[in-house]
Amino acid sequence: MKKGFWNEIKKYRIAYYFVLPTFLAMLTLHIFPVFQAFYMAFLKLNQFTISQYLMAPFVGFDNFYQILFNPESPIRIGLMESVRNTIIYTIVVTIGTTAFGMLVALMVNRKMRGQNIFRALFLFPWVVPTYVTGLLWGFMWQKEIGVINLVLVDWLKLLPSKPFWLLGPNTMWAIIIPTVWRYWPLSMLMLLAGMQSIPEELYEAAEIDGASGWRKFWSITFPMLKPVWAILLLFGLIYNTYSFNIVIMMFGFGAGYPGEWGDLMMTNIFRNTFQQWAFGVGAAASVLLLIVMVVIVNFWFRFYQKAEQESK
Amino acid sequence: MRLTYYMQQRIVKRLIDVVMVLLLIVTLFPIFWMVFSSFKSNTEILLGQIPFGKAGNDVLYLEARGRSLYAFTSDGGLNKFDIDSGALLKHDSVKSLATSFLADDHNVWIGTSDKGLMQISLDDFSKKRGFPVDIRGYDINKVVSTSLADDGKYIWMAFQQKDIETVLKFDKSKRAFVGEYSFESALSPAQATSLLRDGGLLWVGTNKGLVALKAENGEVFKTFSLGSLGLPPVDIRDLAKHSGSLFFATTRGVFEFSMSTGRIEKTLDSKSGLISDRVNRIIFSGNTLIAATNSGVSALDLQKGTVRNFEAAFSPVEGSKDMNKLVKADVFGLFEKDGRLLCGASSGRISKIGLGSFAVEKTYTARDGHTVVRWRNYVDLWKNINFGLYLRNSLIICGITMVLAMIFATLAAYALARFNFPGSNFFSIGVLATQMIPAIMYLIPLYIMFTKFTLLTGVPMKGTYFGMIMVYSAFFIPFSIWILRGFFAAIPVELEEAARIDGCSPFQVFWYIVLPLAVPGIIATGIYVFLTAWDELMFAWVLTNADTMTIPVGIRLFVGNYQNRFDLMMAAATVATIPVMVLFFLLQKHIVKGLTAGAVKG
Repeated sequence: MKKGFWNEIKKYRIAYYFVLPTFLAMLTLHIFPVFQAFYMAFLKLNQFTISQYLMAPFVGFDNFYQILFNPESPIRIGLMESVRNTIIYTIVVTIGTTAFGMLVALMVNRKMRGQNIFRALFLFPWVVPTYVTGLLWGFMWQKEIGVINLVLVDWLKLLPSKPFWLLGPNTMWAIIIPTVWRYWPLSMLMLLAGMQSIPEELYEAAEIDGASGWRKFWSITFPMLKPVWAILLLFGLIYNTYSFNIVIMMFGFGAGYPGEWGDLMMTNIFRNTFQQWAFGVGAAASVLLLIVMVVIVNFWFRFYQKAEQESK
Repeated sequence: MRLTYYMQQRIVKRLIDVVMVLLLIVTLFPIFWMVFSSFKSNTEILLGQIPFGKAGNDVLYLEARGRSLYAFTSDGGLNKFDIDSGALLKHDSVKSLATSFLADDHNVWIGTSDKGLMQISLDDFSKKRGFPVDIRGYDINKVVSTSLADDGKYIWMAFQQKDIETVLKFDKSKRAFVGEYSFESALSPAQATSLLRDGGLLWVGTNKGLVALKAENGEVFKTFSLGSLGLPPVDIRDLAKHSGSLFFATTRGVFEFSMSTGRIEKTLDSKSGLISDRVNRIIFSGNTLIAATNSGVSALDLQKGTVRNFEAAFSPVEGSKDMNKLVKADVFGLFEKDGRLLCGASSGRISKIGLGSFAVEKTYTARDGHTVVRWRNYVDLWKNINFGLYLRNSLIICGITMVLAMIFATLAAYALARFNFPGSNFFSIGVLATQMIPAIMYLIPLYIMFTKFTLLTGVPMKGTYFGMIMVYSAFFIPFSIWILRGFFAAIPVELEEAARIDGCSPFQVFWYIVLPLAVPGIIATGIYVFLTAWDELMFAWVLTNADTMTIPVGIRLFVGNYQNRFDLMMAAATVATIPVMVLFFLLQKHIVKGLTAGAVKG
């Protein structure tokens, strides 16, 4: 048995050589830091103790207690709001990107002239860097000089007066819409590739049976695309929960606090960590976030596998 | 009437087409708006003005020569009229900022803040020559106005800008700036608002008072502060000499300053009959002082003290939406010839008035100012913030990251795609799992590790290219492996098996057979890594310093410092977007193929 194992390893020597550099890189810059972060979550690591590094005072679960249960802790300021915002933001953005991507993918998947040009043009927002997206939309959302209020209020007269978009609950829209705008082309691209791999015969058969366009979508396109949109939903959940650039660039033009309706988990943790130098608390918060994420991904896999089995 | 099935289908199709085009417009609009706004001035943006603005064409300077009337406007516009018929014979524009004019025998000299001193021949505006200004602290955007004075041989040029107290001396025959005269004195800090060359002296009117410089060597000869003259705080906007006295045109009227006694002799303002206190320019016709004010022209007989006011010539321009044209004319340019007074006012209005009758004999209209497309925003971007440095840093860091990540990831992805070696499953799950960990979880330990490592070994990590590249490479490897695996899996195994039978070693198979086939995929993935690294803010924010700052950090910093300079912000955003956009659309097909190949396989 043991000899067989060594033989296996010898047989695949080249594979190990190839994987080794990556393995080492990931060991030093992924695995090692992540374990440190887990350990730091139990340390009182702030500007006074940072020089002691991992020798900083061990405080057990105090950091977690401060975050979760101590309402008077300074770290808690704005944290619950940011959790609420992140949940709303992630769900709306993920579903919005996928749905909007699906809609446009269906549109450009039709046989028409200039199909390639349309597809390329629809990809434009996705190439705009996210920090530019935040900056640009932050400019467009401005109350008096922003083009959005200009169009909505002055031209279309949809609203009676110019609202503040970057203040109060409206902020949710102000961060959701740019994110959807930035990311839906990627969903479109993936879904389009999926649509093109659906065999044409299915649609022909459905047409013979007299199925409407709507029916064809729900009975053929949507289920056939399940691997694609399921992956999109999963990755959307992960990336949008960790969204940072757009929000941080949009408010106070880069340096300010996004307000209680615009603050996300990542901006909150980042602020606590690198502006208040509460590294231990930051590590604890990111550990909590990771745990939540693992649970979500786990649920997603369960759901996906179950649905997969049902369909078989 | 019932539509046929075919018709219905066509209508639905057209409707979807329309919706699609509308969606496309809405989608692309923000990008268009970003580029569009980057070519506007901040004032236009703050005023909510949609189209590009036109430069103001206030007539600043008039000159009549024979049958020709020359009118020079504040946007650098040069107009030549036939003085009798009023026809515009010739028009040209030097498109300049903060303009002042001075005409001599053959040329008109134009003082500008952006193009320095310019020389243009008067007869046909053809020969243009520019002499750029290069002095310390000079910033074209901060120059409020320029002033010129000449004595036949030299031209003096001064700027109304904070922290600049210099008069430049330009030699007409040598065609070069030959001297820089500083007028720093007891009045400092002062800003020059007008110039007068007289006798051996050069008089500089400032916002603090009057400075007299010796014309030949630039020594400060005498200063008169506003306080010592008993004047309120005003800008001296024009200087003129008349029978041993200097006259100041200011925002509170005209003051007569006796050169012999060094005191203010007389004050002429609205109380003494002037149409307004805000006087832009003064000239003399015999014993009559003619003052161009912000609401018309006044002629004041200095001996009799009688005043004649005139404003009718500058009634609002009909049918104009321009704000400037609706208000009363601000008169800037004055020229007196043969008992006729030529007045140049705001928005290109010029009137010829008989001095005896004080009635309008003829009006002229200068051409509209040029449309202002502010290419300057991009120049300012490079000057005011160190954008070139950020761009270079981003290119270096992202470029090397791309190469390194691709080398590592290609090897690993090939191994994972081809060999089912012990631990391969564990490894690929590990690769995917790293995608799930929040970036800040690496960032906190990495930040402290870097600081600690530097403390222990003395090797700088934070704020170096090496540190950034290392972190970025490691960060993008897992994702690259994930995409590249799909590419390697798509290469038929039979090829490799054939090569093995022919006697290739496993490494040779990889090097000579697989790698060439995978190059398109590797390039596509590499570009994608480059784009993602270009987009990364959080790591760069924490792990770079002023010398290694990348574009996102630079923009963030700049945006914090220049809260309301939307023009520059949009220019910066455009510059950050264009390179990646070009790169993406050159290689679009490959990237799309690479990304979707991974996705469809799930």
